[in-house]
Amino acid sequence: MFKRRNLALMAVIAMMIAACGGDGADTTTATTEATGTTAATTTTEATTETTAATDDEIIVGVSWNNYNEERWAKWDEPAMKAAIEAGGGSYISADAGSSEEQQITDVENLISQGADVLIILAQNVDAIRPAVASALEQGIPVIGYDRLIADPGALYVTFDNVGVGRLMAEVIFEQVPTGNYIIIKGNGSDANSDFLRAGIEEVIGAAVAAGDITIVGETYTDNWDGALAQTETEQFLTQANNDVQAVISENDGMATGVVAALEAQGLAGEVKVSGQDGDLTALNRVALGTQSVSVWKDARELGTAAGEAAIALAGGATLADIAGTIQFEAPDGTMMTSIFLDPHPITPDNLNLVVDAGWISVEVLCEGVTAGSVAVCG
Amino acid sequence: MTGSTNNPATDQVPLVEMRNMSVSFGGVHAVNDVSIYLQPSEILGVVGGNGAGKSTLIKTLSGAQKADSGQIYVNGEPVTINTPRDAKALGIETIYQTLALADNIDAPGNMFLGRELLTRTKTLDDSAMEDATRRIMGRLNPKFQNFKSPVSSLSGGQRQSVAIARAVHFNARILIMDEPTAALGPAETEQVRELIRQLKREGIGIILISHDIHDVFDLSDRISVMLQGKLVGTVSRGEATMDEILAMIIIGKLPGEVTRSELAELHG
Amino acid sequence: MSVVEAPPTQLETTERSPGRSLGSFLRDSEIDTRMVGMIAVLVVIWIGFHIISGGTFLTPRNLWNLSVQTSTVGIMATGMVLVIVSRNIDLSVGSMVGVVGMVMALLQAEILPDIVGRGTAWMWIVVLAIGLVLGGLIGAFQGVMIGYVGVPSFIVTLGGLLVWRGFAWLTASGRTIAPMDSTFQLLGGGSRGSLGEAGSWIVGGVACLGIIAFLMSGRRRRRKFGFRLRPMWLDATLGVLGCGFVLTAVWVTNSYYLPENLARAVAEERGIPWPEGGLLIPLGIPYPVLILIAVTLVMAFVANRLRFGRYIFSIGGNPDAANLAGINTRRTIVKTFMVMGILAAISAAVSIARLNAAVSGLGTLSELYVIAAAVIGGTSLSGGIGTVSGAVLGALVMQSLQSGMVLVGVDAPLQDVVVGIVLVTAVAIDTIYRRRTAHR
Repeated sequence: MFKRRNLALMAVIAMMIAACGGDGADTTTATTEATGTTAATTTTEATTETTAATDDEIIVGVSWNNYNEERWAKWDEPAMKAAIEAGGGSYISADAGSSEEQQITDVENLISQGADVLIILAQNVDAIRPAVASALEQGIPVIGYDRLIADPGALYVTFDNVGVGRLMAEVIFEQVPTGNYIIIKGNGSDANSDFLRAGIEEVIGAAVAAGDITIVGETYTDNWDGALAQTETEQFLTQANNDVQAVISENDGMATGVVAALEAQGLAGEVKVSGQDGDLTALNRVALGTQSVSVWKDARELGTAAGEAAIALAGGATLADIAGTIQFEAPDGTMMTSIFLDPHPITPDNLNLVVDAGWISVEVLCEGVTAGSVAVCG
Repeated sequence: MTGSTNNPATDQVPLVEMRNMSVSFGGVHAVNDVSIYLQPSEILGVVGGNGAGKSTLIKTLSGAQKADSGQIYVNGEPVTINTPRDAKALGIETIYQTLALADNIDAPGNMFLGRELLTRTKTLDDSAMEDATRRIMGRLNPKFQNFKSPVSSLSGGQRQSVAIARAVHFNARILIMDEPTAALGPAETEQVRELIRQLKREGIGIILISHDIHDVFDLSDRISVMLQGKLVGTVSRGEATMDEILAMIIIGKLPGEVTRSELAELHG
Repeated sequence: MSVVEAPPTQLETTERSPGRSLGSFLRDSEIDTRMVGMIAVLVVIWIGFHIISGGTFLTPRNLWNLSVQTSTVGIMATGMVLVIVSRNIDLSVGSMVGVVGMVMALLQAEILPDIVGRGTAWMWIVVLAIGLVLGGLIGAFQGVMIGYVGVPSFIVTLGGLLVWRGFAWLTASGRTIAPMDSTFQLLGGGSRGSLGEAGSWIVGGVACLGIIAFLMSGRRRRRKFGFRLRPMWLDATLGVLGCGFVLTAVWVTNSYYLPENLARAVAEERGIPWPEGGLLIPLGIPYPVLILIAVTLVMAFVANRLRFGRYIFSIGGNPDAANLAGINTRRTIVKTFMVMGILAAISAAVSIARLNAAVSGLGTLSELYVIAAAVIGGTSLSGGIGTVSGAVLGALVMQSLQSGMVLVGVDAPLQDVVVGIVLVTAVAIDTIYRRRTAHR
């Protein structure tokens, strides 16, 4: 009985480790700590493949916060690596498994492995700052990837999240200049939700103040959950007795729920809906006409920009030397040298962009689309 | 007078006979080559100090413990008892010291636990079970009225009567009672003792484990004494005084072997 | 035998103090006072929200939506009761929903359409069946680890929470999978997923007859054994209340009409001219709610009328007693967790049908709401005590709070605070109540 119990415990642990094993990765192991505050604690993988480094080569160290989201492996990393290798460098990385403590350790490990420059996708932008400051002191340049690390010595490379909010609101506002709006925001504790909201406010704020637009429902959504967004939209529609003309959803996952709720009321297509991320199902909805816009951030552009900047910085360039930077004042007043990439708002008119870029196939995009209604679908 | 009547008289097939029972836990002999027997209409007291092994021995009979070696005979036939169900199938019912009642279930549910009465559609026939329980309790304890509440809300004596009723109802021929009066007051204790005598009159054989030497002395026809896993000996009524039995329990010496001074020392 | 058998107990005439007689009256009438209390709380919450929302809460539309929103948690809560009663816990429920939901979504959105195309009449059955089997297997596997190998359920299901969530991610790489098969979608409610007027009245009628039959058979069996009967007035009142409630509920669902756009589409389709006052097509009982009701009835039956349920309760009350009574406790545990897995699969089907998609975070945190529903409904975390209907009521209470708060504009973080406070309060009241009634 005693032995069986031990065996069983080991079996359970072995299962857990196997699940972490994912795609046969190796080298730098990251212990998994499911201490993330959000609920999506997926088991993390050990790091990805490392490219071989020679002595004079520039070594670029990349610290992921949680490798287990589709985006990083599929889009960001390959582009980053391509840019790094094109610039004659080599790539090493670590995965913090959503743990801020682990990420600090990862940064230290990358430095001791010989990284000449660091690209950091921060789990917690405040907690990582001491590690960033320390790296800068050691003469190792740091690039804050996608999330703002407010250290003036670091380069900030991102899609402009406020800009994303602005773009999605612009498309909607153009189609619905007056009327009732619902705003479905993301996770309350995620700064991005507020950045997006700020961008939205820039576009519709004046109309709201003038009374042309009334916001009949606005809420944060735990975990950016689509099912929750569906319930929220149902309730707002009930309270407003269906008198709603637009729903601004801060991402595509939640837009799925919004559209489901609208369909149950026969309002899908009539009520304008926004989203973000270029989710394949969302793009399909854009083609079908049930979603007006999905703001697409081509993650490959982000990876490429970061990779190129990393090679330049490691080669001795200063922040001011990097091409395409602007000075951006962070919320806390820090002036950041930043590369802001433009997101692309995808509407029915420019669907060819995502097809041509190889992001989505025509079959998936046009599933269920009536022939002749959308140019790209024929 | 030697008190070592361990083997049954050859002319009467015992109800239960346990031969050379041994149980070890990791090198310690909890029960070491113990043999006892029980006749119909007989009360056998099994006594001993803490750790003597009496509970473990009896558990091999009630199916709660597997013996490492030894053989059990019921009505002369060798049997294997590996689970409580096996024991019950042989007519061996046990009333445990803890009563083994499920506190969240009512009296009828406990009565038939594991042996529920079913309707034709294989669902629980709660009404039939309640009815049967009412009749059984009516015989044993007419004052018992609470058939719907979980047994946790009953008094110690009422819980005891449910446990006894359960053991008695299923045509037990052999009844094992482990410390039946330990948690009872004087009036209830007398009720239980009267019940034991009643059951004896009905032909049931009873194995009685108790710390209360008076009870055992009063009720038992024979007494088997265990010490540190071994059987010290078995004496019949009249063959030994209470002190001599105490000596068997504490020192392990048979009535013929123990000295007067040792007997005096028992009382401190 | 020398003992005379006492005659069956007839009507008692012993004197009792008034307090005792109310207690024994309630006990004999088998009315669950805790349930009555919870219904009262629910009524208070509903009326409260109705006032605050300016009259939108108690409308057919909102109640119809509310019932659908409750179904996913409610379905799983019926099984969680049994898990907790048996002195175990299942933290992996949300992750099971995630992985089974993802598999079912992939099957009908990508895998099967490649083989047989879309729109087949049988696809939804096959997908659902595969989902149920998968859920049952996962649950049974966890049950074996807990029952036979002896690893505590907290650990096994905590591991499961991580592992199944990981698998959910691996199957779809974090993508959103859509759309679902058009028949499968009906399982989630929506504009097409309900019984319609006639069907709903039939179900209501059957339910009403069922309640009356249940009461009558209760009287019959009591009479057969000569037990004290419930007073006729009480049975009649219960019957009227029960039927009244059922028929009112059906009437409410039939008062929710198809939204105008969709009604117009239906009119066009059938070639009906659009009438003056509009075409009123009642939606009726939504399918998810029908599923919830069916699951509740089945699970209540299992808990109360099958040996399996009795054994679960006995394991929760005293595992040693259960073993000594000859009950195969290990097999019972396996079956308990297998049932939980199947229920998670059913809930997953309803979830993805309702959203018409499987998102990568499907089911995240569900286990907490399911456990909370069971606990608010009277299930004790120390085991042995709990009711299936209480758990469903608990789910309804929680969903009423959450949906109501969105309706009146309370923001998400504050909602979480309220739900947490309600949970702790409910358990505190329960604990105090139990302590009081334990000392007779």
